[in-house]
Amino acid sequence: MANKIFDRDTLLDLTVNVVPLFIIAFFVVAFAVLSPFGIDPLASSIQFGLLAVPFVLLAILTYFAGRAVAGSEQSGEVYLPGQAGVRGAKPLEEDHGPAAIDPESTDDAPEVEGDGEDDADGDAEDDADGDAEDDADGDAEDDADTKDA
Amino acid sequence: MEVNGQLALTVLMGLFLVAVAAWLARVENWRSYTPVAGGGAFGQKDSYGSEEKPSGVIRWLTTVDHKDIGILYGAYGLIAFAVGGLMVVVMRIELIDPGMSLISNTFYNSLLTSHGITMLFLFGTPIIAAFSNYLVPLLIGADDMAFPRINAIAFWLLPPAALLIWAGFFPLPDVIPAQTAWTMYTPLSTGAGAGNQANAGVDLMLLGLHLSGVSATMGAINFIATIFTERGDDVSWANLDIFSWTILTQSGLILFAFPLLGSAIVMLLFDRNFGTAFFSGEGGAILWQHLFWFFGHPEVYILVLPPMGIVSYVIPRFSGRRLFGFKFVVYSTLAIGVLSFGVWAHHMFATGMDPRLRASFMAVSLAIAIPSAVKTFNWITTMWNGRVRLTTPMLFSVGFVSNFIIGGVTGVFLASIPVDLVLHDTYYVVGHFHYVVMGAIAFAGFSGLYYWFPLYTGRMYQKTLGKAHFWLSMIGTNITFFAMILLGYGGMPRRYATFLPQFATLHQLATVGALLLLVGQIIFVWNFVQSWLEGPEIEDGDPWNLRQSGLYTAEWDWFDQKQQTAIADGGDPDDETALTDGGHVDEPADDRSDA
Repeated sequence: MANKIFDRDTLLDLTVNVVPLFIIAFFVVAFAVLSPFGIDPLASSIQFGLLAVPFVLLAILTYFAGRAVAGSEQSGEVYLPGQAGVRGAKPLEEDHGPAAIDPESTDDAPEVEGDGEDDADGDAEDDADGDAEDDADGDAEDDADTKDA
Repeated sequence: MEVNGQLALTVLMGLFLVAVAAWLARVENWRSYTPVAGGGAFGQKDSYGSEEKPSGVIRWLTTVDHKDIGILYGAYGLIAFAVGGLMVVVMRIELIDPGMSLISNTFYNSLLTSHGITMLFLFGTPIIAAFSNYLVPLLIGADDMAFPRINAIAFWLLPPAALLIWAGFFPLPDVIPAQTAWTMYTPLSTGAGAGNQANAGVDLMLLGLHLSGVSATMGAINFIATIFTERGDDVSWANLDIFSWTILTQSGLILFAFPLLGSAIVMLLFDRNFGTAFFSGEGGAILWQHLFWFFGHPEVYILVLPPMGIVSYVIPRFSGRRLFGFKFVVYSTLAIGVLSFGVWAHHMFATGMDPRLRASFMAVSLAIAIPSAVKTFNWITTMWNGRVRLTTPMLFSVGFVSNFIIGGVTGVFLASIPVDLVLHDTYYVVGHFHYVVMGAIAFAGFSGLYYWFPLYTGRMYQKTLGKAHFWLSMIGTNITFFAMILLGYGGMPRRYATFLPQFATLHQLATVGALLLLVGQIIFVWNFVQSWLEGPEIEDGDPWNLRQSGLYTAEWDWFDQKQQTAIADGGDPDDETALTDGGHVDEPADDRSDA
């Protein structure tokens, strides 16, 4: 079950929290090895406690958050965040989040068009945006101002 | 003898309050107010919700509609922003000249204290609550907040909190404003010594602060309950929008941080009034700092996470592409939430604490920079090669990123103990955190106010004035706070009403920037009020053309439904009765469409 949820993509998403965990772990080792101010039972316990507690709590929260998000991705339909409540919204085709994380994916376009863009992220964006946004730029504001004037 | 009399009075008052509570509990069957279904106030999936609202002022005094309460929070926050802003304008004008000229040094201290508390507790937290109250239920498909009445109570605790915090400025006999700075460090704030801080004005300020904390805690519980239990069927954790994620995390932080502040404030009040010695004895000053900053540092993230959510929400809409690495942003938000409780003593590096402890706080402080940096790269990458539309909300969001980078990087240096020992208590620190609170948090607030302006007013703001507001704010912010960073490098200590002549030029530059900010905010107020009253009405439910880029979201869909059924525009008295209580307005609303 756990392995099914924590697949490669999910683990990749969670690397963002592994980095601060690594930094904290680095300092735990560094302070254990170097300890320039010596070891004192009380002060050193607090010193390592101050590192260990955030480390453990962050690891636990990361695990549960990853499980909640990845689990609900697998158990239900995935929409673009904020779009699930939109009438007639179409679920995304892929199970996992933004392709921007994975340069091999092609789903950077706002909605998955399935039009076979095999380019890297940037190119895929150009294609998607070019069609969509040309007429949109600032028109709402422009119109509004005109009317107001 | 007199103390005993006071004690007796206090006990009597306590008994009286208990009696009132008991009477209130008996006089009404409060459970009858429990919503019939779904947690919404009036079950507004039916169409009768709109008839429930009275008109005029009574509507605003009695409302439990999350959108109305959101607007109340917003109005409150903006009024507090104006008050806090005008306070600092007076301070900056005083600082044009090295000596004491316009105002007395003690009045400067009073303004300094109230400016900080006002901006953090009366503007920052409420303006975020404005967005979250209005938007979160719409975004997650909830009928209303989980506890609509608690929501209303949480708001209505804030006006008395403001009156208490500002009480010293009112013409009350023998009451003077607090001069403790927002950190309320002891022993000064215990009223010890020959100073004037034993005055009742400080007690009133502490009580007001406590009240605002109670309000924030009630709101936080409500948001946690709402996001966990009231989400629509399709809104799973995987589909939750980034703004709601940040509100959820912020609420968690509030839940753990504010009660601690409340406890510490009560202890301080006991020290001041009942002769206890929590903070006046040996080690008391350090104890206060530990307790205060255990709240105080998470408070920074309480204030910055939701604005990050707004920026993460706005930037993709005007870049024509989704947020790069959405889940990176979500997980890093959660990481910040946890780690923010492990860094508090980096505010105390200069107190002489054990160097081993200091080193640990430094390590976690460096670690917490990573999630923030990840977000920054995500925002930049979202814009990269995107079809960027530099509308006013987008400009403010880009300004957020720019200012946040400067505020963040200057903060990383402060996390390093040796650097901090040099720069501690200088204007460098003031410049650093103002880049974050003004340059980033307030900018995101403005971004949100402009982005959702059509949503909550039914009208569009004036574009040119919006851009003038942005540029004056951007230039003013950078002039003011970069000058402060340079002042700090020069060794100018913070909190002083007077300074050595060698700092005059940079202080004058900072004042020029502050005046630019003032002009920008006056333009904002003009634009905001005039556009709300007279701006062109929005005909379409998609004023930002988000459908074309596939970035249309639930709150605009709700707005679109409102437009289609010709329900109110939020302004005209005729339409007020037709305003609904959130959620969907179905067919029966058509009956009123011609009204």
